[in-house]
Amino acid sequence: MRDSLSYGIGILFSLTVHGLVLWALVIGWQPMTQQIVIQPQYIEAKLVQLAPKKKAVNKPKKPANNAAQKKREKQKRLENEKRKEQARKERRRKAEDDRKEQERLTAEKRALAEKERLEEAERQRQLIETEFADAIAAEQSLINAQEDEIAANSYRQLIQRRLSENWNRPPSARREMETTIRLQLVPTGRIVGVTVLKSSGDTAFDRSVEQAAFKVDQFIELQSMSPVLFEKKFRQVDVAFSPQDLRL
Amino acid sequence: MNEENLSILALIMNASVLVQAVMVILLVASVMSWVMIVQRGLFLNNAQTSFKLFEDTFWSGIDLADYYHELTEKAKEVGVTDGIENVFRAGFREFSRLSQSDKADPDAVMEGTDRAMRVALSREDEKLSINLPFLASVASVSPYIGLFGTVWGIMNSFRGLAMVQQATLATVAPGISEALIATAMGLFAAIPAVIAYNRYAAKVEALNSSYETFSDEFSSILHRQVHSR
Repeated sequence: MRDSLSYGIGILFSLTVHGLVLWALVIGWQPMTQQIVIQPQYIEAKLVQLAPKKKAVNKPKKPANNAAQKKREKQKRLENEKRKEQARKERRRKAEDDRKEQERLTAEKRALAEKERLEEAERQRQLIETEFADAIAAEQSLINAQEDEIAANSYRQLIQRRLSENWNRPPSARREMETTIRLQLVPTGRIVGVTVLKSSGDTAFDRSVEQAAFKVDQFIELQSMSPVLFEKKFRQVDVAFSPQDLRL
Repeated sequence: MNEENLSILALIMNASVLVQAVMVILLVASVMSWVMIVQRGLFLNNAQTSFKLFEDTFWSGIDLADYYHELTEKAKEVGVTDGIENVFRAGFREFSRLSQSDKADPDAVMEGTDRAMRVALSREDEKLSINLPFLASVASVSPYIGLFGTVWGIMNSFRGLAMVQQATLATVAPGISEALIATAMGLFAAIPAVIAYNRYAAKVEALNSSYETFSDEFSSILHRQVHSR
């Protein structure tokens, strides 16, 4: 019957939808929290390689050919000595003109080549300049990151100092105990949440650590921090407490 | 420090009995309303296409008596038929029966035919709007049920707060969180039901009016036939 078929489809569809929703809830409920791993600061030296500027080399011009003059002198002498060889002289003059024309052409060609070479050198120079600017920008961003890191470190030290000032260790504290807590901060520097991430196993010790965070209540100095840096590194701060020292 | 598991499953499992009952009710309501949504959607679509098909055939100039016989044969085969063809068959059957008796008054014939069609129409109307009241109830009631669960859960968690000496947010937060799940489930059940109800109610309305239009047209055809004799 048609009715029962459509009901069957409905039941199947409905169960599938609800199953999917439940599955999505069970799988995707816990949001990922990003753990801040605090590492020692290294000074990174980076070699910025810059190709040396290529210099456009101008080749000296070849010495002018003074064969023409010699020829002319020789021709004069010939004119003086033998006026009879008029025809031959004529022919020679013509040959001379031809050669002059040839020379003029080669000179022009050479000038053109020279100009091209100069343009090429100019292009090369501009390329190198843009590369140089890029390298400077990269260097600048690296420096910014390092400055951020330095600022973050100073704030970390501040947090560490405040917490250790306000920490009263219980008598049950032992050297090997360690409790890690996570502080949730807001941009005013106030602590809005304290959770114990890793317990030391001793309740009194854990409580003392929590109390230290509660006593501090607010890090006023964090207000001067740039919002970007705060969002990046100080929304959540994990702090490890252990009796020999307090480290961040 | 006890391990606090705030996953949604753990919250549901740790909820109080009443809140759990509310959640189960809402889950069942949601599942059922989805069954109705799909079933009604298929049914109404089917009704729309068959109405279009019927009208096309009806106005194509086919002989009405032949068409009536054809439809009756089909109805005998399938068993149950839905939609406009029932109206047509009821009207035509009544008309032919009444007009076969010799001393039939034309007005009486028309009256009987109209009545038969009206009955068939109201049957079809019932068939179309079956299950829609359920969707309407789910749509309007399930947010309230969810709210009830939430209020109850929050009440309980505040009572628990009164008992402890050192009150922190962490003492009430899980209770409130678990209570709010009930509201979320209520909304989850209600929203599709509201949408489907509105949509299907409009569809049923449109189908009904087209059925009525058809029956009027058919009646006028029969009227012409009766009075032209």
